[in-house]
Amino acid sequence: MAMAALRREGRRIAAPIISPRPINPLRSSIVPSEDQSFLGVRSVSTQIVRNRMKSVKNIQKITKAMKMVAASKLRAVQRKTENSRALWQPFTALLGDLPSVDVKKNVIVTISSDKGLCGGINSTSVKISRALTKINSGPDKECKYVILGEKAKAQLVRDSKKNIELCMTDLQKNPLNYTQVAVLADDILKNVEYDALRIVYNKFQSVVQFIPSISTVLSPEVVEKEAEAGGSLGELDSYEIEGAETKSEILQNLTEFQFSCVMFNAVLENACSEQGARMSAMDSSSRNAGDVLDRLTLTYNRTRQATITTELIEIISGASALEG
Amino acid sequence: MSANAAVPFWRAAGMTYITYSNLCASLVRQCLKEPYRSESLTREKVHFNVSKWVDGKPEKPTLRTDTPE
Repeated sequence: MAMAALRREGRRIAAPIISPRPINPLRSSIVPSEDQSFLGVRSVSTQIVRNRMKSVKNIQKITKAMKMVAASKLRAVQRKTENSRALWQPFTALLGDLPSVDVKKNVIVTISSDKGLCGGINSTSVKISRALTKINSGPDKECKYVILGEKAKAQLVRDSKKNIELCMTDLQKNPLNYTQVAVLADDILKNVEYDALRIVYNKFQSVVQFIPSISTVLSPEVVEKEAEAGGSLGELDSYEIEGAETKSEILQNLTEFQFSCVMFNAVLENACSEQGARMSAMDSSSRNAGDVLDRLTLTYNRTRQATITTELIEIISGASALEG
Repeated sequence: MSANAAVPFWRAAGMTYITYSNLCASLVRQCLKEPYRSESLTREKVHFNVSKWVDGKPEKPTLRTDTPE
């Protein structure tokens, strides 16, 4: 009795103050204003929250599945990557890796993935490539891009369209192999003029750690020049050359082979990093989905409870009104 | 050494060392016996899209697929 009176009173007082559209949906159900709520609707509809919970649950399922897929792909690629590291190491021992070399025609090979949802690895390699361009650009120097993968293309098109020479995509339809990368490296060598090729990729360290790296491949002429100048390449002359080939022929063969080997390793490392990054990204997004789901469940239950309580109060107060 | 004699020829034919070595590798793969042969031939699959860019515009991409050359 008292409750009903209070409510009626409250309504009379509040009517002029509160705007005709009550903000709190809960309130509008308790005090149904004639012009707004439908006839017979007594409680907040939980339909929307339920739908949202269902969709979040589905998203969580999808991200979990993607994580599993990435994990299984990672295992295969990781084994290959670790084996491929042996390919470039002798080259670095022989020809060195001179990232600071100062030459006229720079070609930056940016390696990225074709698909997204893998954290920040693509933007990291794009950032590094841009920084490299800045370092290596000058009045009589030029810097060109060769892009592997859709994602880096999409980012680099925005500001350095003019400098893109080649674009290669859809690498990972079949599992990566040396033949494929060699054909690709061959295409790059035939289509660009270079003094130094700088390959930017994410080196796979562990599932959660990828180090953006640069490998440099010099053209045979530059190697010869550097060897004459001494430094780390000065020892090159002490190697004995077998057969009738000249040194420049040997160097040209070596550079080409070095490029394809370094590319092979870089592509694999990047693919490995991609899967690792996707795995951790999907892991955290399924965790986030779980959090959202928890919050939604809490809201849902609280609303439901509130509706039940209201109904109980109404019944009890109605009964006591009859008795009293 | 036969390789020495071959060097000028493949270079003169416009091949790079990569193409040359790939051809040699593919020949070796063809010589393998059966269980190993088909297994190694799967490692020869090539598939990717190349497009050359001229003046900030991509040209029509060409598809490089399956066996090289």
